[in-house]
Amino acid sequence: MTTTRRNLFKFAGGSFVGALFTPVPWRLITDTALWSENWPGIPVPARGEVRTRFTNCSLCTAGCAVRVRSIGDQPVALAPVANHPVSHGAMCPFGLTGHHLPYHPARVKQGPVEQAQAAVADAVAKGERVAVLDLRPGRTASWTYRRAMAAIRNGVYVAPAQALGAGTAVNLANAKTVLSFGAPLLEGWGTPGNVIALRDGFRLIQVEAVESRTASLADQWISINPGTETALALGIASVLGGGSPDYSPAKAAAATGLSEQQVRLLARELKENGPAVVLDASGSSAVLALNTLVGASGLTLVTRREAPVPEAWKKAAPVTELAEIPEHSVRVLLIDESAPGEYIPWSEIEKTLVPDNPVVVAFAWERAGYGRHANYVLPTAVYPETTEDIPPAIDSVAPVFRMTAPLVTAPAGVVDAAAFIAAAAGLVPGDALGERIGAIHKSGRGVLVASSDLKQTPVKDVSADDFRKALIAGGCWLDAADEKAPAPRLPLADPKPHPAEAADLPLVAVLTEARGSVAPVSPLMSKLYEESKLRLAPNRAALNPIAAEACGVEDGDRATLETPYGRCDVLVTLDAAIPPGVVEVAARPGILDICAPGTRAKVVRV
Amino acid sequence: MISEKNPVKAARYGMTIDLDRCNGCGACMVACAVENNVPPAHAGANDRKGLTWIRVYKVDNGAEYPDRRSVFVPVLCQQCNKDTPCVHVCPQQAVDLDPATGIVGQMPERCLGCRYCMAACPYHARYFNWWDPAWPAGMEKTLNPDVAPRMRGVVEKCNFCHGRWHAARERAAAAGKPNTEPVTYTPACAEACPTGALQFGDLNDPASLPAQAAKNPDAFRMLEKLGTEPKIYYRSKRDWVREIASAPKPGAGSRVASAPTPKEQAHG
Repeated sequence: MTTTRRNLFKFAGGSFVGALFTPVPWRLITDTALWSENWPGIPVPARGEVRTRFTNCSLCTAGCAVRVRSIGDQPVALAPVANHPVSHGAMCPFGLTGHHLPYHPARVKQGPVEQAQAAVADAVAKGERVAVLDLRPGRTASWTYRRAMAAIRNGVYVAPAQALGAGTAVNLANAKTVLSFGAPLLEGWGTPGNVIALRDGFRLIQVEAVESRTASLADQWISINPGTETALALGIASVLGGGSPDYSPAKAAAATGLSEQQVRLLARELKENGPAVVLDASGSSAVLALNTLVGASGLTLVTRREAPVPEAWKKAAPVTELAEIPEHSVRVLLIDESAPGEYIPWSEIEKTLVPDNPVVVAFAWERAGYGRHANYVLPTAVYPETTEDIPPAIDSVAPVFRMTAPLVTAPAGVVDAAAFIAAAAGLVPGDALGERIGAIHKSGRGVLVASSDLKQTPVKDVSADDFRKALIAGGCWLDAADEKAPAPRLPLADPKPHPAEAADLPLVAVLTEARGSVAPVSPLMSKLYEESKLRLAPNRAALNPIAAEACGVEDGDRATLETPYGRCDVLVTLDAAIPPGVVEVAARPGILDICAPGTRAKVVRV
Repeated sequence: MISEKNPVKAARYGMTIDLDRCNGCGACMVACAVENNVPPAHAGANDRKGLTWIRVYKVDNGAEYPDRRSVFVPVLCQQCNKDTPCVHVCPQQAVDLDPATGIVGQMPERCLGCRYCMAACPYHARYFNWWDPAWPAGMEKTLNPDVAPRMRGVVEKCNFCHGRWHAARERAAAAGKPNTEPVTYTPACAEACPTGALQFGDLNDPASLPAQAAKNPDAFRMLEKLGTEPKIYYRSKRDWVREIASAPKPGAGSRVASAPTPKEQAHG
């Protein structure tokens, strides 16, 4: 047989076609796929001894009990503690991802500590006014700040105003009707587990312009015109026989978009289906004053005692509200935002500072909060690196004391804000938390709830050392509610016209995702913000498509949110569920500086 | 010992989701991501390219404001028990239905990334890994050692926390229990749900909460008309919410509020 060129080509072609009918090419594709899928760089989880530890989440005042799964000393998962008497086995997504926070890319790890110390020491030596702004009052660290400010000649301790008054708690267990003016009752308000546990016991009426997550699960959602909450409250007050004499249900109905009948029905429900409590997202005195008219004091609003403190601490500086400080009087302002708490717009804080060269020191885990305005940003430990106690939540009727102990070691450069301020005031550094625990144990009151088995033991049956160890190990001290405590004095109505009412802007701002100040958020929260749009991301503003068209913006556009107080960059999101005339924004420091609920605003395309 | 005389008692793990209790907090989504080492969003990720083994959708009744009402619907792999679409279409046998547990498993090492399963899944419960998994520096220390991170180019989905199932089997074996009996465990999403809306259990066990809840007249399954017999039972007392399951035509009833806009679709 002669081998020709044609035969060679035929053989090669036949071989190629034949090979396609064998597993070889498919195997090659598979192997290529597997090879390309296994590039180096895919992390390999560390292995080791599995340990279970317990702590309490300090990301908000709910202080949920946490079961920690660790590999060696490294936490790899946080889970709620079922049947816990305080947190009732609930945790929010922020708490579930708390163990990621030490690795947040935006974290500050180094700061000009010595320069800040020198600046503060200089002001103290000259007798100039030094103020501490504590965004989460009620902690042991707060007492240290107060003691330090008492030791300084011109020291002031400042805490955010509490709408219901200090020491007032909402007793949801007694409530049959809850009228909420935009309060995020089912979205992390108070102690989420407690609210959920008591939810079947009360009728929830949610009043707000936008159907929030709370509104979607409320027994009744009353949609009113945005920014007219005060008008509705005054209308209800007039039916209940209080409030402003020149405010009628008809006037309230005209403002809110409801019928006069609806306003009267709401008032009747509060009166007849009591005990009732009225809550407000923005702490409006006109709204909260309804509690006086429905007789909430002593029933659904009660006085809560504070956990015992050492007697020697009681000579501390009083709690001052920011509004009480004279303008341009503070030379040094020390802001503790290491623990997430209330956010006060910077414009209000700035008024108190001296005009020339004020010194602002922010103790923060990242720069996005007051760090933007501070001369010195000093890095702090972040949960779960911290050792601190957690003040009781607003729905905590009984005194409670729990703390978070470090699950991982903090970086070397972090600063303990309490130790820094105490040293600046010349206080002898000591173990304040230990002293506080000792004082609680000495009182002999309440029970110790063990973290692992939730066994409750009277404090008087536990040694001081065991009590301290149990609290560090994630336990909790619980006292009984004080039945004889005097009923709280509730705020009186002081309806002020909203400062933005006069502004000629087309939209009304509604805030969502109000998590206080710079609350640390795990990068994994992208599942909710970016990868699913379940929650409004902190950099987004949601508009109705009609409103967006009027503003000349489209979905995904970069825009500026402008209010009478300033402007902030946002990304536009279209949502037909938002009423026309409303812009919904997620609460974050930049937004909270220029925006309060009901502020008029406009969105301008960049 | 497993034998003909002592066969494996098959479990049929399933879940009930009470939509009247779900407040859309998203705890299930992040708990799932923590448990299963699902990475944070890549720079280019959006709701079309993100990885969420369980995703909570906000669905409304289709009415105009102010009559519009919403419900939060967690959607995960529905663990179809019959004619499982993804199993049928996979050319690599990377998807299987375990007869011992009823769990539809996904084997990333076998996956070719063809995404036929994604196209076949009627519930959009499968997600493609567009990027190499990456965590911020240091955060990889928090990964769960019981679950291997998946590589780029494969499809992933909920497997009812198979790592937890294995751990429960090991615990049962250590306790001297026969390996023919189904084990009791709880996936991360059900454990994390603060409202108790998600209940997990063996549907073959009449005493389990999901088995009881599945018999509730308010219970329904998604796209039941397809005959795939999903093992996720939803519950709601609201009529319009129950109608979601039959996927009414757009404009004729409820709709997914966060559905992509035409502009988003154009950008992929």
